[in-house]
This record gives sequence, structure tokens and C-alpha cells, in this order.
Amino acid sequence: MPWNPGDDVISVQRGPRPGGAGGAYRAFGETLRGLKTTFARVLEGPITIQYPEEKVPVYPRFRGRHRLHRFEDTGLEKCVGCSLCAAACPADCIRVVAAENTPELRVSAGERYAAVYEINLSRCIFCGYCEVACPFDAITMGNDYEMSDYNRSDLIFTKEMLLAEPFDRAPLRAEGE
Amino acid sequence: MSTPTRPPTTRPTPYREMEESIDLSAQLQHVPAVGGAEQELLTLNMGPHHPATHGVLRLLVTLEGEVVRDLKPIIGYVHTGIEKTAEDKSYWKVIPIVERMDYLAYYFNAMAFCGATETLLGLEVPKRAQYLRVLHLELNRIMSHLVWLGTSALDLGAISMFWYCFRERETILDIFEMSSGQRMHTRYIQVGGVIDDIPAGFEEKVRAFCAVMPERIEQYGDLLNKNEIVLRRLRNVCPLDEATLLELGVTGPLLRAAGNPWDLRKAMPYSSYEDFDFQIPVGTVGDNYDRYVVRLAEMKESVKIVEQALDGLPEGPFITEDRKVALPPRHELATSMEALIHHFKLVTEGFRVPPGEVYYPIEGPRGELGCFVRSDGSSKPARVHMRDPSFVNLQATAPMVRDAYIADLIATLAMLDPILGGIDR
Repeated sequence: MPWNPGDDVISVQRGPRPGGAGGAYRAFGETLRGLKTTFARVLEGPITIQYPEEKVPVYPRFRGRHRLHRFEDTGLEKCVGCSLCAAACPADCIRVVAAENTPELRVSAGERYAAVYEINLSRCIFCGYCEVACPFDAITMGNDYEMSDYNRSDLIFTKEMLLAEPFDRAPLRAEGE
Repeated sequence: MSTPTRPPTTRPTPYREMEESIDLSAQLQHVPAVGGAEQELLTLNMGPHHPATHGVLRLLVTLEGEVVRDLKPIIGYVHTGIEKTAEDKSYWKVIPIVERMDYLAYYFNAMAFCGATETLLGLEVPKRAQYLRVLHLELNRIMSHLVWLGTSALDLGAISMFWYCFRERETILDIFEMSSGQRMHTRYIQVGGVIDDIPAGFEEKVRAFCAVMPERIEQYGDLLNKNEIVLRRLRNVCPLDEATLLELGVTGPLLRAAGNPWDLRKAMPYSSYEDFDFQIPVGTVGDNYDRYVVRLAEMKESVKIVEQALDGLPEGPFITEDRKVALPPRHELATSMEALIHHFKLVTEGFRVPPGEVYYPIEGPRGELGCFVRSDGSSKPARVHMRDPSFVNLQATAPMVRDAYIADLIATLAMLDPILGGIDR
């Protein structure tokens, strides 16, 4: 062997040979020990969660469905259509078409805004690179993890859907929970 | 106007041609009759959709009665072209993709790829990042072994083991969600370190888990170790000696069960594994029982490593300060033009890696998980290849189960712990 493991090796304990007198004992004795283990767990109580009624709260870092944000004071969109999120996306699920802001139509705080902003959630792998890439915190990953739908086309989320306040469906975990 | 004639559809597809070209009649030798009854070999397909194959694995089994005379694993049913896809993505975008190969060892996949890229870059990873990596890798190892134990016991008929194992797995996934935001495929390990520091309250959660876990492993042992059914199904069943395993390139718990203490964490330490005090459990015979106890003992050792990583967690940065590789901190984006330029450059093009090639092996839960990366100097890898342990270990199935009962084939396959996502990539 090209390498000497020294004292770092421990041999595991092999179980007894099955069958024979020991086997007859084990068929009862060890089964009872197993049952004891199982019944002791009953005292610990169930840990299952009745899912659709009861929901597991998510951590602050949880990466759920994306959200686009507006400035709270002005109501303008934070997204300036720079397409960095689309560039960062490993699954190529984001489509951004930028347009110029005009004095009559002011959508975002910057020079340009996203005229089209689509996320294809059936392609998204929820890696969160869009959130990492966005220099303006315009896109973040929200808490929502219930996104199933009957049609694939319904899973292409447009800008309006992403900007809208989501239903409060997935609870956020409180501090220290 | 004549309607366009469609080409005849009777011509077999290349795949069908290939499949039919395998001559199975060679395996159907005449077997001497026993007790006057004529017996011949029966070739049977197990899978690809069989719950005991742990994924979409097709086994072409040649049976004589209930005895397996030959076995051919046929793979490719979940081939996703991940290695090829990786060639088209910049280095940091490859990380979430390679994580999806072996879907129970995502931290290991990311670690192998990031380690290979860091070697090519000649990048120093901060000590804190290395410890955080070890912490998550070992939690991932326990998680992977728990899935193995639960599903394997299920194959042997012990359904409650499945619930117990998934209860602890749930705790680990919860810890993963807390630190990285996702329960699976976390992309926590990044080139140069980890994506974010651990949040407040993380340490208490992991410590609580470490306090409970050894007791839980004892309980698993109480249920299974000396259970007469488990002993009959596993002990001295389908052993394979060390020499054959080495010839086949088998690594990980399967090799250690046969008595060879080959563990890359000790033999070629990476990511500060030399700082940790743990032992390598080895078996003696290399039968299914040894494979089972070795993994059970490994979980205990992993808990020890996690505790040591928490105790010795050094202060300092969690990702390299090299702005050519790692993204600048977010607060700098609003104040520093230079940081913003680096941010744009890294997100759109990614960092360039000097030309060269490297093979970076780490000890995955199933064995040696190596990542080969060749760079041509651009921001995308020219070739990414993973040496996945499940793929190499799978070829040991046939020598293991030859002349064993078909029921033992199920047990052996469970103890082999193949992950088809890793095999097909």
C-alpha cells in the first residue's frame, strides 16, 4: 500500500453467524429489542406535518419564487433592464427586453426599464444566481414554493405577475425558530 | 399534386439495431437436467422501472431457476448530458449544473468541480471557507448514507427504518436550507470559498443535531445489527475480495468493507481534512453485512468531524478576496465603481482560467469522486468530466452476485448504493 493509515483504522464489529441456537434466541430476543426501540419512539410523538393545512415555515435565505420590486417611496420599478440576471441564469429561463424611459412614461428609476420581463418557471432551477447578479436588488427570491399549475404556459411569469404582491402562502420562520 | 411519401417506418432505429445485435443465445447454454426435468437459462429484464434498482437501472439477468448466473447492467436511462452542458457555461454557472449529477451528494459534486477549478487558478481558499466546506460535506455524507440505509432496509422489508432515516435526513436538509437557502442542490460551495457565511443560530442547530445523531445511529444498530432476518439476508452474502475490487477500480465503503482502509480524506487530504481527528472503519470479509456496518460506522465518524469543524471554525473571510474570481461584497456595489465593474465582468463573462488540465479527487459518500477539468484559457471549461463512484462501483455487481439467489441480488444492489443520476450524468 502506498500509504500507511497508522492508528486511524478501526475494524467494525461483525454480527454473529445466523441460525443455530443463537439464531433461535435472536429470533425472539433481538426482535424484542427492535420492538422496544420502535415502541420507545412512539413516546417521542409524531413529527409529521399535515402539509396542505400546516406549512413548514421557510428560512430567510430560502429561494422560492422570484419577485420583482418597486421603490417604496416613488413606486418606480427597481429593474433597469440591464439583463444581468438573464446573463447569470444557468438555465436560460429569463427574458428581458429593455426600453428607454421617456418623460411621459417613466417606469423605472434609471435610464431604461424592462419592457418585457419573463421568467419561465418550468425551466428555472432556483439557483438564485439572478438574485446574486442583480446590482439593484430589483429581483429577489421570495418565500413561495407552491407553484404547480395545469399548463406549462401558465408557468411563464410576466413582469406584472412578478411585481404583484404574492399571496401569503409560505410562512417565513421567525428569528431563532 | 402528389402527396409526399413518407419514408418507410419499418427500418429499425440505430438503438434498436444495437440492442438486437447483442447475441443472448450465447448465454443460453444447455444445463444438465436435474431430477429428470429439463432446465435452461432464462434471461430476464429487471428494470428500468423497478423500485429495487434505486433509480432507472436495467439489469439483464440470466437465471437458472432462482440462481443468478450472469448479469449485465444497462444504463443510460437518465442520461442528461451534464458534462456536455458544462462546456457551454462559464465556470460559476457550471456549479449548479454539476450538483445535479449525483443528486444525493450535491456538496461533493460542487466541491470536486470547485477544487479542480481552484487548482487550475492556483487559488488559495480561506481557512474558514475550508472548514465550512468540511462541515457541509460531512453533513451531506450523513444525509446520503441515511437515504441509503432507509431505502436498503426497505428493500429487505424493514419499513420503519425508512421513516427513522428520513426523519434525521429532514433535520439535515433543514440545516442546509438555513445556511444556503435550498434543501437540495444548494450551490453553497463556490469557486474560492462558499457563497455566504453561516447565519446566526446555525451553530446551535448543528450542535443539537450532533448531540442527537450518535444516539439515533445506536438505535438503527439496535434495530438491525443482530436482527436474525438481517443477518440471514446480509451476512456472508455476495462477498467480493479486496483484490477483485481493486482490479475493478471500486472505491469507498465497498472497498473499505473488504478490509482496505483507502480513504482520500486521510490518504490525500484536501480542504483541511488533515486538521480533523477521525477514524476509517474497515470490514473484514467484504460481504453485504460488512458494507452495512462500515457505512453505519462512517456516519458516526462524520458526526465527529462536524463537531470538530464547529469547534475549530476559524474567523476570517468565507470566500477569497481575489476580485478577479469572487464576486465583490454586495455593500460595495453601491459605493465602489471598481466593484461594480468586477461584478458586471464576473456575471456576464466570468473569470478566465489559465490553460491546463487537472484531476481533483475527493472522497464522496460512495467512493472516489474525481473531477477532470481542461481549460483552454477562456471563461468556459473546454471539458468537464466526473469520475463518478457509482459508475465504477456498478461493474462490481456481476462478480458479486454471480451464483447467488435473485433475492440476494436485490440486497447486494441496495448495499452497492448506486445513484443513477451520477452513473449516467
